[in-house]
Amino acid sequence: MAKESTTIEVGEPSTMTKSTSHVVVDEKKKMGFVVATAGGGYKRGLAIFDFLLRLAAIVTTITASSVMYTAEETLPFFTQFLQFQAGYDDFATFQFFVIAIAMVASYLVLSLPFSIVTIIRPLAAAPRLILLVSDTVVVTLTTSAAAAATAIVYLAHNGNPNTNWLPICQQFGDFCQAVSSAVVAASIAVVFFIVLIVISAIALKRH
Amino acid sequence: MKNESTFIDVPAESSSAMKGKAPLIGVAKDHTTSGSGGYNRGLSIFDFLLRLAAIVAASVAAGTMFTSDETLPFFTQFLQFEAGYDDLPTFQFFVIAMSMVAGYIVLSLPISVVTIVRPLAAAPRLLLLVLDTAIMGLTMAAASSAAAISYVAHNGNQNTNWLPICQQFGDFCQKTSGAVVSSFVAVVFFMILVVLSGVALKRH
Repeated sequence: MAKESTTIEVGEPSTMTKSTSHVVVDEKKKMGFVVATAGGGYKRGLAIFDFLLRLAAIVTTITASSVMYTAEETLPFFTQFLQFQAGYDDFATFQFFVIAIAMVASYLVLSLPFSIVTIIRPLAAAPRLILLVSDTVVVTLTTSAAAAATAIVYLAHNGNPNTNWLPICQQFGDFCQAVSSAVVAASIAVVFFIVLIVISAIALKRH
Repeated sequence: MKNESTFIDVPAESSSAMKGKAPLIGVAKDHTTSGSGGYNRGLSIFDFLLRLAAIVAASVAAGTMFTSDETLPFFTQFLQFEAGYDDLPTFQFFVIAMSMVAGYIVLSLPISVVTIVRPLAAAPRLLLLVLDTAIMGLTMAAASSAAAISYVAHNGNQNTNWLPICQQFGDFCQKTSGAVVSSFVAVVFFMILVVLSGVALKRH
């Protein structure tokens, strides 16, 4: 075991060596921070798009619910077999539609703060996961209301000869038009919801 | 700038010893056996099992609706004495949609297997989540429109003079109602699948 001795010229003061050794850590921290900001920027864009889509979906669902609610028509004449008044409460499915779409609209309003949180904190995963789960539940409710109302509207337009269900739209034209546009608005809201779910999933992925 | 000189004793074996103590910066994390990978693999296995259950639910729904024919032994003046799924366009849509859903789940089984084998890959899970959401919407549409027609068939509608046909066609109504219930069960499975994919994507 031969011991070697060597002379080291310490030219710079010790603080300089301390700062050079810290460069490694700082660079790593800096690179990590840059990566976080880049991911945050992307996700912030997704969160802003999410917020705007929610506003659009609020407008759509409120339109659908109110158009269906006010879809009344009274005919100036009457026949022996058909009632001369038509309103949303004559159909159980339309009652379900109005209530369900109104609940969906209020859910969207309540979910706006969560969406704002995801804009402010783009890298937080918990708000996005909450939004994803609750959006999934609500999209099924919206789809259910829209599809059931579509089935009844189809019956009202075309009737069914096999079951002797007569198409009532031939008498209640305005009522049918209002109801059909409400169903279309609800279907558009369903499309918005699906896009919202996909956005939340993509934003969750980029971790 | 003062030049300082100092004497440092460097032992001979120090270089090899220092080489042996490699810096800790380059230690790689073993991802395949980390806790997150194991948890994701468990979620993937549960996802696969749920898909098998959803295949059963969707095909039972389609099959029950498809074979729900009933012919009455008598006939009346006003109502047809035969009832089948193809008498109602909504039920036709139901059969076609649920068959497509069952076919989709069968085709998505390989992707689910991929998520079991590679628990930390994000692309298969994201693909499954997007497709599952779209198919869940289709399933829910078929299920709820058939439910609306079943409701009218059971209860009728006095305001529009739509008579409840279930009073004549009891078996037909029972089978269609069972098919509708089965499709709602499939929808619940899909919801759980979507949430599972979301949770597994979060844990990266």
